[in-house]
Amino acid sequence: MRINMKTTGLALALICIGIGGFFLYLDKAFPEVRCEAAHLAAPEGYEDCLSCHVKVTAQVTQDWQESKHGVMLVKCVVCHGEPDGKGSIPFAARPDQNMICSRCHDPAMQRMTAKFGGGMDCNTCHPRHQNPMHADAYQKTAASGKTSF
Amino acid sequence: MSVSRREFLKGSAAAVALSMVGGPCLAAAAGKDDGVDKWVKGVCRYCGTGCGVLVGVKGDRAVAVKGDPNNHNAGLLCLKGSMLIPVIYTPDRITEPMIRKGGKSSPLEKVSWDEALEFAAKPFREAVAAAGPSAVAYYGSGQALTEESYLANKIWKAGFKTNNVDGNPRLCMASAVAGYITTFGKDEPMGTYDDIDAATCFFIIGSNTSEAHPILFRRIAQRKESSPDVKVIVADPRRTNTSRIADMHLSFIPGTDLALLNAMAYVIIAEELDNQRFYNRYVNFVDKEGKPTTFENYKAFLADYTPEKAAQITGLPAADIVKAAKIFAESSASLSLWCMGINQRVRGVWANNLIHNLHLITGQIGRPGASPLSLTGQPNACGGVRDTGSLAHLLPAGRVVANEKHRNEMEDYWGVPRGTIQPKMGLHTVALFEAMAKGDVKATFIHCTNPAHTLPNLNKLTKGLETAFVAQTECFMDAETLKYADVVFPAAFWCETEGVYGCTERRYAITEQAIKPLGNSRPVVQILMDFAAKAGVDPKLFPYKNAADIWEEWRTLSKGSPYDFYGMTRARLKKESGIKWPCPTETHPGTKLRYVRGEDPLVPADHPDRIFFYGRPDGKVNIFLRPYAPPFEPADRDYPFVLTTGRVIDHWHTATMTGQVPELRKAYPSAYVEINPEDAKKLQINNGDPVVLETRRDKMTFPARITDTCMPGLVFCPFFDKKLLVNKLFHDATDNASREPEYKICATKVYKQA
Repeated sequence: MRINMKTTGLALALICIGIGGFFLYLDKAFPEVRCEAAHLAAPEGYEDCLSCHVKVTAQVTQDWQESKHGVMLVKCVVCHGEPDGKGSIPFAARPDQNMICSRCHDPAMQRMTAKFGGGMDCNTCHPRHQNPMHADAYQKTAASGKTSF
Repeated sequence: MSVSRREFLKGSAAAVALSMVGGPCLAAAAGKDDGVDKWVKGVCRYCGTGCGVLVGVKGDRAVAVKGDPNNHNAGLLCLKGSMLIPVIYTPDRITEPMIRKGGKSSPLEKVSWDEALEFAAKPFREAVAAAGPSAVAYYGSGQALTEESYLANKIWKAGFKTNNVDGNPRLCMASAVAGYITTFGKDEPMGTYDDIDAATCFFIIGSNTSEAHPILFRRIAQRKESSPDVKVIVADPRRTNTSRIADMHLSFIPGTDLALLNAMAYVIIAEELDNQRFYNRYVNFVDKEGKPTTFENYKAFLADYTPEKAAQITGLPAADIVKAAKIFAESSASLSLWCMGINQRVRGVWANNLIHNLHLITGQIGRPGASPLSLTGQPNACGGVRDTGSLAHLLPAGRVVANEKHRNEMEDYWGVPRGTIQPKMGLHTVALFEAMAKGDVKATFIHCTNPAHTLPNLNKLTKGLETAFVAQTECFMDAETLKYADVVFPAAFWCETEGVYGCTERRYAITEQAIKPLGNSRPVVQILMDFAAKAGVDPKLFPYKNAADIWEEWRTLSKGSPYDFYGMTRARLKKESGIKWPCPTETHPGTKLRYVRGEDPLVPADHPDRIFFYGRPDGKVNIFLRPYAPPFEPADRDYPFVLTTGRVIDHWHTATMTGQVPELRKAYPSAYVEINPEDAKKLQINNGDPVVLETRRDKMTFPARITDTCMPGLVFCPFFDKKLLVNKLFHDATDNASREPEYKICATKVYKQA
């Protein structure tokens, strides 16, 4: 029992240090960029999501940029909505596939449903943000600075 | 902005909870099928791609939109199209007629329909009585429905008896029209989007397809992805997102593309990659004076455009010109795609001719994937305006006002006495607004467009709007032109009414009425007929109950013409998701390859040749000897930079619609100026700094965006922002033939605001 409490306490402390460390890192690494605040009250004119996410979720951003959605400029808000909740699409970290994906991929979703049955999560086979273009179609010829405003 | 960490954590927790719970709940409310009573077929309201959409209706409201799986877009939509619904229900919608009782400076006041119609009609009656029919005009749009443009064209040309019928397609694709007509004898492309799936070389010039036609870009990328043998050449002074899939990006000095195109022709002939069998059979060579000439003279003419000489003009490496020309000629099927970078130029028609030349010299035409396919900017510029002849010099189905036989045909068909239609061409757009400023045109009806935002040299041309009486149909209070409107008619928006759109690939598709017009707004065909009746036009000219009656008249008129779509009955359009003309019978599937025997129903089945260019009397099309000519206002010592303008993916034209969608508005809330890092360094400009662009017309301040999208010496501003009307900076010089203004190039100073 005592060991359990000790382990739990240690785990909690580690979690706290982890969370604290994350914010400390944010503070030190990006003193002028407060992405989390922008999420809560993004002012008009704040520009697009990438300007922050390229720093705080670099892998996701990179995946998106190299994905078909990135090449086609299907931007964050198209699926995730506006973080302030005032947009036309409800904000969701994991968009509802029946409402969001189906706007463009309804024919494919119907084919998949016919083939594998309903109730499947698209993400199981098509990981979000990780659908790069094949062959040499994706050339790293994008202009730099396009997203660095 | 200050948000405490505690507030942030609380907010984050709430956001996470909302994201977990909100999705399924909202999905139930407006989800795929279970929250929608019916899906109604339509066409996207935005660009010239013409994607099919399905509008989800629940009760009396449109609640969802998704791509039409049976149209060319195969269910896909771009970010603008997928967010169409909020545009309908924006609080910014105009739903009541409004007039200015005390002149231009008085406020717009809501009135009844009768009062607004009479208020609009009276100045038209008085103008005609005082100064004749040429004192009134109609300024239309490539976004108006086909039935609306056809009706307005008839009312003004046969009713008011004036050819002052023009519209924003003059600013958009007039050079492409003149390019097709001068080379092939008939307007509209011979290819379709299906060519994208068969092409092995894409030559994209003067088009940011990725942002202006996203769904087509996706199809090109998909084709590119299918095989490493598919090559994409993008020729554009800006390295836009379109270049991401390019094998070659040719960043030439703005305005020098005529030299590039001639140099490519030179290389093709010098490398013996030309197709003699093709051009000997199907082509006439035409010299600078418009007289017939020979292939040898063409070859001699091209000697001025060796890759080395062209490299001097264009700033491109000579080896790149050679490589691009070889890829174009050696590929099994080359597809050229171009848009405003070619059309919005003082030599736009010539540039169009030179693209056609490349296809004719190589025989890259009339086969799947081999075609010169002009991309059109607006959703119904082709079907609505080009085909119905709703421009100052045209009459329906390829007829022109200057041709007496054509006029007589239309007079007979419309049941008006011969001599009714004036033989003189009406005023093209720039001339129209100049005439309005001078008082020569006293009253203008503006439909479905926002000229106070989109005309070039705005400080000069908006004087026309300040001077003349302006009746306008509009859906959104955000439109800049409302400032000048004397009467505003609330138009039914998009899926609130029914009508046909015709997109880039000769595809006609119908938008069916999904919901009732909001508030007191009305379908525009009704507004036009009510207005015309009060303005003194004989109501016998428009005995229509609805848009379907107008379509029936237009469809019947097309029968037997080169634009034959007699097979597209209203019922068939409602059943199918778009049909491509020529389509002469109800059982005809539509035409993919125009001018080709066995494909085009207008080519006799027993025609001796596989291709029949029936647009020209001798069946032969033209290769023109068009020399390089500089832009109207190149950069010089005093104004050392070139300014260009264009679209961003998030906004459509003047953002009166996309500006209503929070996601799109926030992505690009305001205009900016793109500056190359080299130039920024020299001028000591950092990201976000206020930068002044000063041209010979005006000067304006934009926030800087440092990016190598623009080549050194070039700056770019998008034109969607009504707070920063970049068109004030541009001149209004036009192409001699098409009268399309050169929006793409003017000289500017660039400096950091003190």
